Amino acid sequence: MVPRRVIVFILLSASFSVVYSSIAYYTLSKPPAQEFMAWGVFSPGGSLSNYFSGSEANVTVGKSLSWHFAVTNRMGSIQYVQIVYRLGNSTSASPNATVSGDAVPQLGNSSIFIPNAQTALMNFTWSIASRISRGGLIFLNMAINGKQVITSVGAVGGQRFRFFFELWIFDVASNSFQYGYKVQNSRVGVPLQVWFNSL
Amino acid sequence: MRFRIAALLGIITLCISPLSIDRQEAYGQSTQVDSARAALVQAFVSVQEADLEGASPAQISQLADNLNLALSYEENATRLGSNFYANQSLKLSNSASLEAQSVANAARAQTVFDQGSAYSLSVVAGFGSALLVLEFHRLNDIARKIRVRRIRLE
Repeated sequence: MVPRRVIVFILLSASFSVVYSSIAYYTLSKPPAQEFMAWGVFSPGGSLSNYFSGSEANVTVGKSLSWHFAVTNRMGSIQYVQIVYRLGNSTSASPNATVSGDAVPQLGNSSIFIPNAQTALMNFTWSIASRISRGGLIFLNMAINGKQVITSVGAVGGQRFRFFFELWIFDVASNSFQYGYKVQNSRVGVPLQVWFNSL
Repeated sequence: MRFRIAALLGIITLCISPLSIDRQEAYGQSTQVDSARAALVQAFVSVQEADLEGASPAQISQLADNLNLALSYEENATRLGSNFYANQSLKLSNSASLEAQSVANAARAQTVFDQGSAYSLSVVAGFGSALLVLEFHRLNDIARKIRVRRIRLE
């Protein structure tokens, strides 16, 4: 016959151990956090406005514009990020939260690895080298981050061009970049766009 | 006649050979760049694993710097068609991958140690608390005895 005192001791020990283990588990566990990626395209002045150093969004041939992207990673681990840039016009289909702007040809991309809880800056320096008139539309010969690009989308009178910027994240499972960032079982696209006229 | 045919074949071979060498070089460059790209992705996977295992932000930041350097070499290799940059990227990616694996192992061991220590301490504290509750009356007795002894001494 086990003495009553021993049984009480075992029960008390077990109860206290469960309470202390729960405290240990709570202390060791990572606090739950909403995963997200945030980003913006910044003007030379470091603001989210005044991209063309004037009230009008007019860009003359040869004028160089130095913008930069600031991308913040809050996904809980390091991410391999790619920014895809496209040039569209007023009638181009815009990328949205679920669909990328694949219908508009890509001008280029920039990639970077960003650790969790850090913000990376990426330069986007561009200029219009020349304007090509064809079929009533103006096409642009551009220099983006030192690379020459001839756009395949034109605009009437060179007015109302649009830069589309898209955030793509490397997905280990598919071994490729995927549009937007993953939230549970879906992906969230966060496209940006900047309008301008070429003169 | 035979000599003419042989000479003709020789000339044709001489004309074709630079093209074939160029193609081999281009193929070699493409293979090197592909290898560098694959190594970079593998290194990223290793670093992400280390991060998820609980490696410190400083370690991950340093590994990310190496990955970004390897990425810039890989971009130069693609742009310039240079085997030198592709090799530099490959080397850096492989070393980052190895370092990430060692960091991941250390982080995993540290996590196991931390969890083991915390739960062991919980069990020991549980025993201690149970003992304290059951033997609390004895502590009261001891305290009373000490008090009595002090009064007697005074």
